[in-house]
Order: sequence, then structure tokens, then C-alpha cells
Amino acid sequence: MTLKYGIAASVAATLLATTAIADIKVGFIGSLSSDTGLSTLRGAEMAIEELNAAGGVMGEQITLVTADTGEDVTEGVKAYEYLAETEEVDFVISGSIDDVSLGWLPRMQEFQIPTLDTWTSYIGIIDQVIEEPDLMAPYFMNIASDEALATLYINFGADVLKAKMGWESVVILAEDTAFGEAITGLVTEALGPVAGIETKEIITYDIGTVDFAPLFSKAQASGADFIYQVSSVNSQVISSQYVKLQVPMAMTGVNVSALGMEYWEDTGGAGGGISTLSPIPSVGFELDPVSAKFVADYQAKYTSRPVMPHFNGFNAYHGLKQAMAAAEEAGGFGDVKAWNAAMLKQDLKLEKDGKLWLRYGFWQHGEVEEVTGRTYPQNARFDLTAPYDDAQPSMVVIQWKEDGTVGVVYPFEYANTEFEVPSWVK
Amino acid sequence: MPGLAQTLFITASGAGMNLRPHHFILWALFIAGMLLMPELVGRGTLRTMVFACYLAIFAISWDILSGRTGYISFGHPFLVGIGAYTTAILTRRYGFPVEASIPIAVLVTMFGGLIVLLPALRIKGSYFALVTLAVMELMYQLVPVVRPDLTGGTRGISRLPALTRGAENGYYLAVCLMLAVALFAWLLMRTRLGTALWAIGQNEESVRGSGLSTTRLKSFAFLVSAAIAGLGGAFYAHYLGTITPRAFFDINVLFQIIVAVLIGGAGTILGPIIGAFFMVFLLEWLRPFLPGQERFFVYGAIALLIYMYQPKGIMAIIESGITRLRGART
Repeated sequence: MTLKYGIAASVAATLLATTAIADIKVGFIGSLSSDTGLSTLRGAEMAIEELNAAGGVMGEQITLVTADTGEDVTEGVKAYEYLAETEEVDFVISGSIDDVSLGWLPRMQEFQIPTLDTWTSYIGIIDQVIEEPDLMAPYFMNIASDEALATLYINFGADVLKAKMGWESVVILAEDTAFGEAITGLVTEALGPVAGIETKEIITYDIGTVDFAPLFSKAQASGADFIYQVSSVNSQVISSQYVKLQVPMAMTGVNVSALGMEYWEDTGGAGGGISTLSPIPSVGFELDPVSAKFVADYQAKYTSRPVMPHFNGFNAYHGLKQAMAAAEEAGGFGDVKAWNAAMLKQDLKLEKDGKLWLRYGFWQHGEVEEVTGRTYPQNARFDLTAPYDDAQPSMVVIQWKEDGTVGVVYPFEYANTEFEVPSWVK
Repeated sequence: MPGLAQTLFITASGAGMNLRPHHFILWALFIAGMLLMPELVGRGTLRTMVFACYLAIFAISWDILSGRTGYISFGHPFLVGIGAYTTAILTRRYGFPVEASIPIAVLVTMFGGLIVLLPALRIKGSYFALVTLAVMELMYQLVPVVRPDLTGGTRGISRLPALTRGAENGYYLAVCLMLAVALFAWLLMRTRLGTALWAIGQNEESVRGSGLSTTRLKSFAFLVSAAIAGLGGAFYAHYLGTITPRAFFDINVLFQIIVAVLIGGAGTILGPIIGAFFMVFLLEWLRPFLPGQERFFVYGAIALLIYMYQPKGIMAIIESGITRLRGART
């Protein structure tokens, strides 16, 4: 009997202690088995540790619970419901990919839980913010939306691919995903007209493709000057085969696997010459002191992959702190409108060598971005015009060299290496 | 040779259904128990039950065709997807009210399935399974590229009108739909038609030899199965609020449906329901302890053990348990 009472008392004491300190609950939603998901999760973990060490928020400690999506749309809906109904979290931080975010978005609208998306960049969600501001008040996206990413990428096409390399036609090699479709649309509709690059052919492939040789042959047969790849799933396969087959035409585009430091190892060293668009901060991107400290702390804490957080890890780290600061100003997360107003005011400016380097702020409602001529309420602030003195550019282009190093090639203000074609391409 | 209409007429009159008072009592208890759930469990559990209810509907639908006749369909998500996409397109692109879009979705599913899959019923065994699998895969590939202005491409269609809001309302809607489907399927399977479908699964040649048209019977089973899949898919789409090709035409959706039936017990009504609830709840219960993909391995191992112990599923385990209890009493 004594043992039973002892166990019961211990359990009760533990529960009470947990309840006493776990007053603000943050829910992570995303894949626990991908570098992308882990980047967001770890960024959030580090921010929470720092906030708790500094006394918490509003005198309360923060705890984190996770809900794995497995990058599956339906699992994403279940995960959000689990966080909302079972865990009853106060705030959700997401490292979900596009269609998974679209899957749980109706649940966020229903539960009205403040939510920060650190990876999804779909402009359609920002359009929903514009059309239904009240319903979308809990939602913030602290990555530049894909329209902003593409707009600057078009400049890369004009300034580098066309002006410097002299390329005039492209063949698109895109995976059959939502991401692939969106980027292909933007490239065909904008790259051509603005940069003066003709799209010769669009080749769509299944994400399970293991042999790209026939696709590369088809791309060569199109007669285009270069290949534009769009790959977010198993991206190391297409790039390593491109290198191993020594495809005799240049290839650039979007390759998600090349966004992480593991890329070189994942491709067995066969990744040289691949360039990709990347949100900021990317691999090869010079860091300001605050971001550099974050990376150093991250690498001291985590030894497994990803050894360097992807951009969304930075977004989660700074974004979670901003969400908590907004909650402090709004008196908690309960009053979504008050939290929304406070979150919109969050503005973190990070400098490097006296120059504005990174800015974690948000576009306001009604505020028009000059280049695109549209609004981006509750979306991460970005700058599309050199010298980028209002915020960082929406993206950079990075390139892996044949010796395994990586650097930024565009925009020129942030570049630390030059864009070049692989040695086997004449 | 008695025709399908004659068979239906005979069974519709109630002859041969062998209904007993205890059937009604058991159904009443089951329905009452399910309807009382919101009083007994939390909202989080109710949300899980909603998914279980929809999976049960899809599983019952699959079982009517495959569990009874033995024609294993790998294309069922195709039917569910047609129902979902039809109501989504009608409501979001053309402004149809859901009262109209859902019945239309059911009809379109029956018609679409009839055109695409019915010819496959003339082939047997693994060939039938492969053809249906090919149809589903084809749909997965086509939806994103054919008329993306309608289907929304790979990002699907968002902001579908919600039929209800909140865990309780969502649960009542889903459970009522599941109970209606289950009761209908149970009554259908107690008719001579149901017996004939079961007989096809046992020995199709014998059924044909007895003078029944197996093609018509299979067509009937297929149409009923498609109607239920389309109905479930349409309601499910409005529950989710967003539909994407990956959420409907993915091979995992197919596995979930088939595993629910096999674990619960094929060829029964309660089996697919038990299997669906078992699967969905097991995964959700494991979530706090195994938040990552490891829970799928544990769940797979448990499912495999059950299947190895009793290939006829949980229903057979329950039935043998009841038989033993009765034997012990006597």
C-alpha cells in the first residue's frame, strides 16, 4: 500500500509541477524526419530555451509539443487537430510544405490559434489574408512568398543568364508536385517575357524517377541553351546524375537538396556546378553576428543532420521570439486581433559591417510593394531592388563548385563567388 | 434465369432477410453508443473519431465490392477522389450549393467509375487489381495537369464550404453518415442479392452455373460501392476544407482502406468499422509517445501480428471469444 501511495503521490507531484511551469504551450507541426522540418523544430527549441532561461514570457515558462505530418496532407490535418484539441496549444509554429499547410489551414481558421509558417511560401495564402483578414488574423508567413522569390529570380535571369552567359532559350525539367507546378508557371510566364529567354520545352517527371538519362537526352534534343530544374523531392538524384553523366549543357533552377550542407555528402561529391535559388539565409551566405551566433549555438547543441539549419530554422528562431514578444504586448495569445496587431509591429534588423543585412519584419495591410505593385500583409518583409536597404532580397542564388565549396552568386551585393558553368560544359 | 430486378424485388419485400429482434436491439445499442460518445470523450478524441468514421465508410464501400465478390480493387481512392473533386469543383468553381453538389458528386462517381472500371470487371484476379491500380495512378498523374484551372493542379482546391464547424458537429455528421452506410450495407447483405455477391467470392462459376448473371451482380456491387465511395468522398472533402491530389490518389490512402478491412474482417459490416477505428486510434494514441514516423512501424507490426494470429481479422477474434464464452457457460 505504501508503495502504491508513494507512486501515486510522485505522479501527482510531477503532474502538478508540470502544470505549474508549463503555462505557454507551443505546438510544432511539420515533418520530424526531414531536414526542413527539423530546421524549424530546432530553431523553435533554441528560441524557447533562451526565453525560458531569461524567465519565460509573462512570467510563464514555455513548453513545446510536436505533431509529425510525415509530409502527408491528411496527417497534417490530424496533426493540427491534435495540437489544437488534445494538446490545446497557445501557438503553432509550422515547418510544413505547401500542400500540407493548405491542408491544415481550414483548421487554423476554425480554431483561431496564432500560427507562424516558416517554410510554405505559397502566395495564394497571402491572397487569403487580403481577402479574409479576420479569418486569417492568426496566420503569419515569415518567408518571402513565392511571387517575391520569382520576381527577383527573373532579375537573375536577365542580369546573369541572359546578359552575362548569353543564353536565350531554356528547357524546364520539373517534378510533378505543387511546388514544381508553381515554379514552372512563374518561370514560363515571367522569365521569358522579362528576361527575354524563350521556353523551348517543359519536361515533367515523377518524383520517384531514378534514371534521368532519358530526360537529359530529351532536354538536349530541345536545342535549348540551358536546363532549368525544379526539384524539391529527392533532388540529390537529379543533380548527382547530371554531374555523373556530365550532361553537356548548363543547369540551374531550384534544387531543394542543395539548400543544406549535407548536399555534398548526399550526392557522394557529385554535386559540383549545381546552382539553385534559395531563401535567405542560405548555405554559403555570409552571416551577421547575431545569425552567426545562432548557428554556432545550433552546432554546439545538435550533432545530427542538418548540421546547418536551413533558412526556416532562422525563421523559426527569430519568428518564435517575435510571436512571444507580441503575446507579451497583447496580454497573451487569446485575443487574436490584439496579438495580430502586436505581431505586425515586430521588426528585427540585423546589420553586418554597418549595412542592413537581414530584417525580420512583416508587410502591413495596404502597404504596396513597388516592384510587384501589390500588397503582402502578414508576409515576411523583403526588398526587390538593389541596394536592398529596406530589407534583405527575397532570395539569393547559390552555386556549389566542383571542389565542394558553396557561395552566393546573385544578387551581386550579397555575392561572394561568380556564377560559372561546370568544367565539362563548353 | 432470374434477373437482377427480380432478385431485387424478392429481397426488397423482406423475404429471406432473416431479421430477428436481437438484430434491432444490437443495432440500437450500437447507434446509441456511438451517438453518446460526445458526452463521454473529449474533443480531441472526437476529431480522431471523425477520421475513423470516414475511413470506415471507405472501407465498407471497398468491402462491398472486394470483400464480398473477391474482386480486389486497388482503384478505390479513384472513386473517393471523384466524389471529392466533383463537389469541390461544383461548389468552388461554379457556386453550386452543397445540397446539390453532393448528390451530383455521387452520380458522377457512379458514372465515372462505371465508364472506367466496369470494363475491368470482365477480367479476374490479379489482372483486375492491376488495372484498377493503373486507373488510380493515372488519375493521380492527370488531375494536376488536365484543367488545373478547375482542379487546382497539385495544390488542389482550398476554401471549400464547411458543412459544420466544431468537433461535436463534425462527429455527429460523420458518425450518422457512417451508421447510415453501415445499416444500408448490412440490410443489403442480408438479402439474396448479398448472398449472391458473397457466393461470387466463393465460387463464381457455380453462381453462373446456377443461372444468375454474375456480370450484372458484379456491376450492381460496383455501383453500390462507387455510390458509397463518392458519398463519403464528397462529405470528407467538405470536412477537410481543402483537397489535393496527394490526399486522395496517393497509394497510402489505398493501403489504409484495405488494411482497415483486412484487420477488421473482410466480408462483414462491423469488421471494416472496427478496423478503421483500430487503425486511426492506434496511430493517434502512439503520437505522444512516438511523435515521428516510428509509430507507423509499431502500428504496422501490431497489424501484422493480428493478421498472422487471425487472418480473418478482429471480428473473427471477437466471434471466437464469444463462442468460447458460450461454450464455457454450457
